[in-house]
Amino acid sequence: MMRLREVALYRIILMAVVGVLCLMDNMPVWAMGAAVPQLQPAQDKPCVRDPAWMRRNHPEFLRQKRDLTVREGVRVRNESLARCATCHQDRAQFCDRCHQYAGVDPNCFTCHNYVHTP
Amino acid sequence: MMDRRAVLGLGGAVAVGTLLAPGIRLLAAPQPSSSSVPNKTEALATQRWAMLIDVNKCSADCSSCIAACREENHVPMFGDADRDIHWIRKVELRDRERRKPTLSLPALCNHCEHPPCVHVCPTGASFIRKDGLVLIDEHRCIGCRYCIIACPYKSRSLVYFSTQMPIGGNPKIPIRAKGVVEKCTFCVHRIDEGLQPACVEACSRSGGGAMLFGDLNDPKTEISQRVKMLRTEVMREDLGLKPHVHYQGL
Ligand code: HEC
Ligand code: HEC
Ligand code: HEC
Repeated sequence: MMRLREVALYRIILMAVVGVLCLMDNMPVWAMGAAVPQLQPAQDKPCVRDPAWMRRNHPEFLRQKRDLTVREGVRVRNESLARCATCHQDRAQFCDRCHQYAGVDPNCFTCHNYVHTP
Repeated sequence: MMDRRAVLGLGGAVAVGTLLAPGIRLLAAPQPSSSSVPNKTEALATQRWAMLIDVNKCSADCSSCIAACREENHVPMFGDADRDIHWIRKVELRDRERRKPTLSLPALCNHCEHPPCVHVCPTGASFIRKDGLVLIDEHRCIGCRYCIIACPYKSRSLVYFSTQMPIGGNPKIPIRAKGVVEKCTFCVHRIDEGLQPACVEACSRSGGGAMLFGDLNDPKTEISQRVKMLRTEVMREDLGLKPHVHYQGL
């Protein structure tokens, strides 16, 4: 009897741990307690999409915007790449810092200007 | 025991947050800037942008269109005639047989209806936008230069060197990374804001007023009326590319 209960308890604990691990996937980096870079807080609100969504999907978001703007001629000005800089002022302390941590190096800024204009 | 509950509780809260979040916007998007340009604009398939250049109003000693283009798009000059980038240039036309006076006129990308540059592009970087503009998607350009060879008007240049933002440069135009091809865009960023290309504006402001720009498909525009009524010509009509830069008075 004792053993069965213990097994059940361990099972619950295991499931909880797995569950939390799965959720951590979507958690803000700081909530995971890892040695993550401190990102510069945004100057204004809100982000063009939900920040948690942006954290994961901004590459896809930007690629889609890029094709839509350049090829289809649809310009949504407050969602343009240049507009990111109105809130995320300093590229070095926001985009670059996180990219360095994640080990990605988008080449966008060999062409695109990232200038903060309040 | 308390600790574990707390963790589970936190997990639950995060789960709710993420379920709500993707795709659903709880907050409105930021408002557009104060300018009069609408936040969202779109190219229309019904439009056909074109230019009409009145050669008689263009004088040999004027190059305000070129200067305006260089400033608007910060088109780089590297000080090497083989590598310099030209979106628009002045050419001289001499008709020796008929002994006509030498003409001076601007030449730029013709934004052809049947552009050979687009035809040869292996990556789909060169394309025709809905409204007739022939553009280069620099994100897809691999710098192979087929298009430069295909263009009979020499409208395209390869970027040989990366550039920095010039002081006071137009922030709407990206700087250059080497290895892509570029050319006149009819100032697509200005067209999308309802403005005229920089060269046209400069020509009417400080030049001879020789350049006219507009929608050829709209019968109410001056350009469509003039192209219909006057005898206008295009460069190398025999090639059958249907250029959209028309000349009057050649
Ligand atoms: C109107 C202001 C605003 C604009 C414009 C804006 N953002 Fe944000 N962004 C925010 C806010 C607020 C947050 C939440 C984090 C914070 O407060 O610093 C955020 C968060 C993010 C995050 C997640 C950061 C993290 O902490 O993990 C990313 C990635 C991001 N934004 C990318 C972009 C991109 C790319 C653009 C341009 C297309 C953009 N943002 C434009 C305000 C903005
Ligand atoms: C919270 C961390 C974080 C922040 C902040 C962030 N990024 Fe990223 N970014 C990433 C990660 C991680 C990837 C790689 C994603 C992948 O490869 O799936 C990435 C990828 C990209 C890519 C695609 C790169 C490619 O090669 O396809 C672009 C473009 C990009 N980021 C732009 C930006 C810009 C612009 C900003 C600042 C406004 C920004 N990012 C801020 C984490 C971040
Ligand atoms: C070779 C130069 C070059 C590189 C590299 C480049 N771009 Fe662009 N990009 C351009 C040009 C040129 C335009 C057209 C600008 C216009 O028409 O306003 C453009 C337009 C865009 C636009 C639409 C305009 C806007 O401000 O929203 C987006 C989005 C964009 N690029 C995203 C990206 C991303 C993301 C990357 C990196 C993965 C990237 N670009 C890399 C040259 C480049």
